Amino acid sequence: MSIFSAISTSGTGLSTFRTWIDVIANNMANLNTVKPTSEPAFQAQYVQAQDIAGRADGIGAGVGITALPASSAEGRLSYQPNNPLADAKGYVRLPDIDMAEQMGNLIMAQRAFQANAAVVDRARDTYLDAINIGKNR
Amino acid sequence: MLNDVASVTLSTALSALAARQRVSANNIANLETPNFRAGQVSFEDNLRRAVEAGEPAQAAVTLTTSTAPAGINGNNVSLDTETLIDQKTALQYRLLSGAMSSKFGLIDTVLKG
Repeated sequence: MSIFSAISTSGTGLSTFRTWIDVIANNMANLNTVKPTSEPAFQAQYVQAQDIAGRADGIGAGVGITALPASSAEGRLSYQPNNPLADAKGYVRLPDIDMAEQMGNLIMAQRAFQANAAVVDRARDTYLDAINIGKNR
Repeated sequence: MLNDVASVTLSTALSALAARQRVSANNIANLETPNFRAGQVSFEDNLRRAVEAGEPAQAAVTLTTSTAPAGINGNNVSLDTETLIDQKTALQYRLLSGAMSSKFGLIDTVLKG
């Protein structure tokens, strides 16, 4: 147990949810990335996370990212005959990203990040109180 | 010098509250982790019994897993409950650390004469 472990536990939460926000931002930025049909589509990434087991006292140590799985490479075909990347039949490949799903995830990640930031604040207050034990007030 | 029941009770309660705050921090960090079950720290009843028995240092701090119903992803952390527990724990810690300081203040008075 490190000395300010409540803060480092919340820190793992902050970095996990920040990474989730980064991944969503990248997915949204590539919403309209066009690829020729001979290549795989842009694959949206997802964050796969797992809790970190604690040490001897059994209190968990936060959360960590285990993998960034990608969505299907097939994407969806779109008929755009004027697109320079279109194949002989006039099709291009677009990523299969659901914008509503990404926005929903973005809000979850943002709120969770805020909750962890608030915990850091409260943990800091508590540790300050602990440091001040014995000082005259 | 500080082996009296009040001081030992205070320090036992302070470390139990610190543990509760760490559990709360872990629960909130795992707000969206699939199949994660929230942890809970209980010590008040044990501490009360231990104080009645005159052995406050023997009070056990128990860590249990919440049995609250889980959501669709198997996670049962409730953000409002956890925030409330965390906030309350921080205030209790402030109260008890103040009491501890007062205790030290008494000794200080005696030492200064």
